[in-house]
Amino acid sequence: MTNANDFISQLASKLGRSTPTVPPPLIDFHVPQYRLSNPGERSTIFLHNWQELGGKGVIVKTEDQTVSCLKEWFGDLPLSWIKDNPQAILAWDSLPTLAETAFSTLNWPLARYTMAAPDPRERYSIAAQAELGITGADWGIALSGTIVTNSSAQRGRAVSLLPPRHLAFIEASKLRDNLSEVLEEVSALGSPPSAIEMISGPSRTSDIEMDLSIGVHGPIEVYVIVIDT
Amino acid sequence: MTMYNSSVDQRVDAALANNFLRQATRRATDRLRHNKYKATDELGSWEEWRNAGASIRSHVIENLDYYLQQLIQQTEKRGVQVHLAKTPEDAVAVVRDIVQKHDAKNVIKSKSMISEEIYLNHFLQADGVLSVETDLGEYIIQIAGEPPSHIIVPAMHKTRQQVADLFEPIAGHTLSSDTPTLTRFVRVRMREQFLRGDIGITGCNFAVANTGSIVMVTNEGNGRMVSTLPRVQITLMGMERIVPSFRELDVMLNLLARSATGQRLSSYTTILTPPRQSTESDGPEEFHLVILDHNRSEILGDKTFRPALNCIRCGACFNVCPVYRQIGGHAYGSVYSGPIGSVITPLLEKNWEKWGHLPFFSSLCGACSEACPVHIPLHDLLVKLRARKTISGHTPQIEQQIFKAYRYFFTHEKTLRRALRLGSRLQFPFVRNGRITGGPPPLSNWTKSRTLPMVAPKSFMQVWADLKLNRKSSE
Repeated sequence: MTNANDFISQLASKLGRSTPTVPPPLIDFHVPQYRLSNPGERSTIFLHNWQELGGKGVIVKTEDQTVSCLKEWFGDLPLSWIKDNPQAILAWDSLPTLAETAFSTLNWPLARYTMAAPDPRERYSIAAQAELGITGADWGIALSGTIVTNSSAQRGRAVSLLPPRHLAFIEASKLRDNLSEVLEEVSALGSPPSAIEMISGPSRTSDIEMDLSIGVHGPIEVYVIVIDT
Repeated sequence: MTMYNSSVDQRVDAALANNFLRQATRRATDRLRHNKYKATDELGSWEEWRNAGASIRSHVIENLDYYLQQLIQQTEKRGVQVHLAKTPEDAVAVVRDIVQKHDAKNVIKSKSMISEEIYLNHFLQADGVLSVETDLGEYIIQIAGEPPSHIIVPAMHKTRQQVADLFEPIAGHTLSSDTPTLTRFVRVRMREQFLRGDIGITGCNFAVANTGSIVMVTNEGNGRMVSTLPRVQITLMGMERIVPSFRELDVMLNLLARSATGQRLSSYTTILTPPRQSTESDGPEEFHLVILDHNRSEILGDKTFRPALNCIRCGACFNVCPVYRQIGGHAYGSVYSGPIGSVITPLLEKNWEKWGHLPFFSSLCGACSEACPVHIPLHDLLVKLRARKTISGHTPQIEQQIFKAYRYFFTHEKTLRRALRLGSRLQFPFVRNGRITGGPPPLSNWTKSRTLPMVAPKSFMQVWADLKLNRKSSE
């Protein structure tokens, strides 16, 4: 295979110079970013855009509200899922406190993805058989109705991917107006996590006669609960 | 390798005779274009975003040596194995090697134009490896054994019934051709493949030089599957697909999603900074990044065509092109079709015999340049490519003869006058209603579908001479 130094010095010679050793200057550009004049609107607009993409969402202030919203969305389904499959509700190792207490109140047992099985293939097949994947989120983007999750040892990328339903909890304080704010904070982390997933609504495709179809590979139903305490 | 046995003319004729194809292409490109306008209008300042995008892309290309070096260092530091491929053959060899080393039988692929450019599936299948395209559109054309007809909607040219017919032998039973049924079939079928995949192969929309991150956008979520489940991941990228940092990535992601499909962001935007940490429970442990040159460095060294490297593969130029909208992607014959395909294919493949027709698949109306989110002067590059082709001597004999004759007459005034007089007499058998409607070849090529104005009774030179006379007499 081509040696990196040769490869780069060939490129440099095409540019009429020798391999540069100092970084090029910062690129001078300006784009007018979407900013909300009243940050109070952020949750509402985020939710509106999320719903427009086909997701369900709600803003909650208390555990009671969370419980009643979950009941409204899922009814008694989770109890019947659990009868057939004790690991039907799969979650990250830890969720926001309000979420954890709501699930104990409802008596819907959460299986933790990272501990679901020692072998990765087994973990994947457990996640694929689960009915609902539950995650937190690190940021939300109001403009595009997007939730952003970082990977880590206590989480798992498959939780928001393999089950047919994905439910995310996000604190209102984590919402931002636009993508650039999120990327700025990612940069500030120094070294980014191994995966950052930005999720805007359910899985979709228009590949057959441009006809929109939901849920081709990823989750078919997506839910978000904004915690505004 | 060729994808077609037919000639350019045969492919164009076939496309023009295919009513579904033309209707579907128009419908799809109208939809995509309309969605794009909605998404760019709501931003309220699209021109500023375009200008920023153009500055960023030009800056990266002009400093590609620096940024590529930085990307290699950053990814290698984290344990990614980087492979630099000068040619498509090199890139194929790298991938085959990795597949063989792992004795992998099941490869799952998300969309990668580089894999099309190097005909990767062909070679993997020859090795007995099952390499499955997991993007719905790519899966359809993989079963059909066809190249993509649009860079964003690869199976645009297929009817739902054709899709159902392609799926039925795999399903082993009849399938109704409604979209939910077809989508559900693919969901179930692909799940098995995803969970079984030994190696995942992905494309790369952007690579972030200062962090060593790979950015992929998909709507279906197959990109996430392919980069989450297999133990080994191979990502293929063209060497120009770089942004310096997350600061510029913001602009490029906005431009790409809005220009390609009119979305604010694609359903899934994945930023990988591989490989996974040893404590994590999913994601690839082993990560290979294959960076392809394939004459991109030649384009870099050619200032005239360097802007072609600015492309972000959004497909916006396809959706406005009057030629593409009439004939669809297959008539081009190349992996990359549409205006940008007509520009880069002759430059990447360096074969005028085979690809010399492409710069002529354009009306030079400039709609492509106007649509381009990074201001590539596509129609201008197409004219310059035509000039290159002519200078290199790859024009048809007849065209060369015509221009020789043209030069002769226009440098011999008296002969020209005589010929015009002769022409005005000889035209009459071909004149209908004051227009020339027929004639011997090569004139008939024009008059088959259009008419020509008659040779004027009084030539311009005569009119000019009379004017001069009149002016003199009135002085």
